[in-house]
Amino acid sequence: MTINYDEYIKKFDSCVSKYIPKINEWTPADYAVYDPKDPFKVPLNEAKELQFNAIKYQFKRHYEHNKMYNNFCKDMNIVPDDIKIYEDLERIPLIPNEFYKDYPTGRDFALWLANIFTGDIPNIKINGKNPSFDDVINAFNASGLAVSYSSGTSGRHTFIPRDMRSFYISEYSAAKNVISMIYPIWDYNMHGYLLMPNPFKTNVFAGKVCTIYYDAIKQVDVAIDREINTELIKLSMTGGKGLKTKLVKSSLKRMNIKMVDNIISWLEKNDKEKNKIAFVGAPYILYMVTNKLKEEGKTFNFADRGAVGTGGGWKVQENTRMPLTSFRKQIEDILGIKHEHCLDIYGMVEGNSWLTQCPEGHYLHIPITYIHPLVLDKDFRPMGYNEVGRYAFLDGSTFSYPGFIISGDQVRMLEHCPVCDRPGPVLEPEVTRASGKEMRGCAEEIRKMISDDVKE
Amino acid sequence: MTSLHEMKDKGYIPQKMQIKLFLGGGISLGKTLLLNMGDLKKLRVLPNDAERYIRPKRQYDIPKFNNNMKYCESNEKYLRPTLYCNPLDPEVIAIADKLGAYKKTDREFAEAAFHFVKEKMILEIITMNEVGETFRRGTGTCFHLITAFIALCRCAGIKARYKMFAMNMIKAWYEATVEADPLVKKWYDSMGYFMIEGEGEAFIDGKWVVAHVGAEAERQAAAGIPITKFGEDSIGNWFSAIPGTIMISESIPYGFGTSTKFIKKIAPGSMERVNISIQKQIARGRKIIEETGGNEAYDKKARVEKGAKKPELKIERKPQIIFDN
Repeated sequence: MTINYDEYIKKFDSCVSKYIPKINEWTPADYAVYDPKDPFKVPLNEAKELQFNAIKYQFKRHYEHNKMYNNFCKDMNIVPDDIKIYEDLERIPLIPNEFYKDYPTGRDFALWLANIFTGDIPNIKINGKNPSFDDVINAFNASGLAVSYSSGTSGRHTFIPRDMRSFYISEYSAAKNVISMIYPIWDYNMHGYLLMPNPFKTNVFAGKVCTIYYDAIKQVDVAIDREINTELIKLSMTGGKGLKTKLVKSSLKRMNIKMVDNIISWLEKNDKEKNKIAFVGAPYILYMVTNKLKEEGKTFNFADRGAVGTGGGWKVQENTRMPLTSFRKQIEDILGIKHEHCLDIYGMVEGNSWLTQCPEGHYLHIPITYIHPLVLDKDFRPMGYNEVGRYAFLDGSTFSYPGFIISGDQVRMLEHCPVCDRPGPVLEPEVTRASGKEMRGCAEEIRKMISDDVKE
Repeated sequence: MTSLHEMKDKGYIPQKMQIKLFLGGGISLGKTLLLNMGDLKKLRVLPNDAERYIRPKRQYDIPKFNNNMKYCESNEKYLRPTLYCNPLDPEVIAIADKLGAYKKTDREFAEAAFHFVKEKMILEIITMNEVGETFRRGTGTCFHLITAFIALCRCAGIKARYKMFAMNMIKAWYEATVEADPLVKKWYDSMGYFMIEGEGEAFIDGKWVVAHVGAEAERQAAAGIPITKFGEDSIGNWFSAIPGTIMISESIPYGFGTSTKFIKKIAPGSMERVNISIQKQIARGRKIIEETGGNEAYDKKARVEKGAKKPELKIERKPQIIFDN
């Protein structure tokens, strides 16, 4: 018999109770995140009210407790009292994502993090005269914060200083959004495979945010069980030529082969024991696994007992990207997991939003009880629905930094999902990077020309 | 003869990061050269029927030096002569005088020097030489132009220095062109060690103010980016420095001039093609600026398109952040 939804989500909440603050401590932001049973089925008027209260509450906090944002708002001539009705939300000053990529190094990096933080930071001791990014982040996190960063595919990491309250919201909403969309597949006793770095051994946001997976599911295995830090990412993602880079790349290659074999053994074991399974993480890993199974002519049937939640794009393996529809087909053909249980999640280190695909149409649904989504034109003004532009959002759930962000992504937003009946706007599934403008210095001109000449 | 102390004090000895870049680049480029000797031919020659580079005419007159012109003879750090940068060169003194040295405030003069170098001097890929020669020619690499700006400031009694960095690759171009071809990638990556970019900095009213003089307005227009103003940093706007590679120095270090000579030696054909390409970029940018209604109108438009306004962050000390010495 299928468990009813309320019971299903109650079970989930009891598994992850440590992520939920006591109800007497709830602010409008917490109501917007924790109160809705299904974040994607709140009637529009009710969702807008929760959203308005959460964003207005956070705007006032950041205005009053964050000097950087206070000055920015003064420059823009906006004060919290200007936000009176829902339509006023679009007057809240947005911070371009590049701002969080522009930071100094060494000790100044620690001060930079402290200066963009909203509210009081705890005492943090930084060792060394020229601490690395990892040294600084580890010191912040040892003091009870949850500083994390993007994988840096654009060449620069984005660093965001979250307090634990904001970080728990991010983890909770990521898990709840997926679990509500795959209803009724989730079960605490299912077996999980995390296709990410071990969340306890990294500060990369996409990995770190997955610690909740270990609370929501009894048995979790992890694909990349080693420490992943900024130095290792730099070595694995750049075209560096040194011995260290070669060693790292060769070690990663060996690790990838072993990782694929481990996942295949895990699949065989769970197939034999008829267990329910869930994969969460980077799609390229599952793509490598299914490719190997295809080569070996092996298939599985996890039709009603398997789910896949992907996110984070293809990163290092970007050149092997395939359209999401082909990816889902490959998963269904090889693992038997139905396409409606293979969902992509769109999120970023700058926000707690976790847009999640619906099973019916695979459009990206927005948790509008605390997120106000915007699509901006080339002059950074909000556009209407159906237009392609820069994705931006007002996030009413971030306590420790202003989550009012212009992203680097290009999207199209629709007023309703064309396939399912969940209320609120959606994004079309394929999100692309907006192109930036850069110029070549004179050294770069020589480098380009010589490379062109070699090519001819 | 320059003493070891003076070499160290003036920054003639390359910094640790520069040595790291030069050594890494030397080994990597040496290996690429040895294993791909055939490619060298392509870099050395221009076909007979190919377009040739003609150096553009100097865009300014240099006044005749006379003894009434004021200049700064201090031996203080950031005011004294350094490698390739002699502020007491007659051409430097004459141009500084024409730009209003000792008649304008420090900021007004530095701005005038910035505009002169950025607008009147033209980018040309060429080996390093003394600043007087650069002024006589009217062209040079970004380091010739930065040196010209620094020499003018020092001549007018304003402290000035270099800011150098290794630039992050331009990702879109790198993905489209370089990654697609392993051989090109080899060359491109090994050259990356040598390709140091820079800016000038002048000390005005107690603060170092950045001057990105290396790009003419026309080249910036050709790239679709705003025209840099005095005090506006190229890093973080249209250049990305590789973290940890930003170096501040009083002088261009020893070895820097040799590396440009080396590139000229192995790839004279490519260097000429770069200069032809730069002239084309300038022509294209000039057309864009004219069509938009002039420098100011173009700049305004480009700034709107460049991106949304960012908050300004003044980093302040926080008592909660405790640094352990």
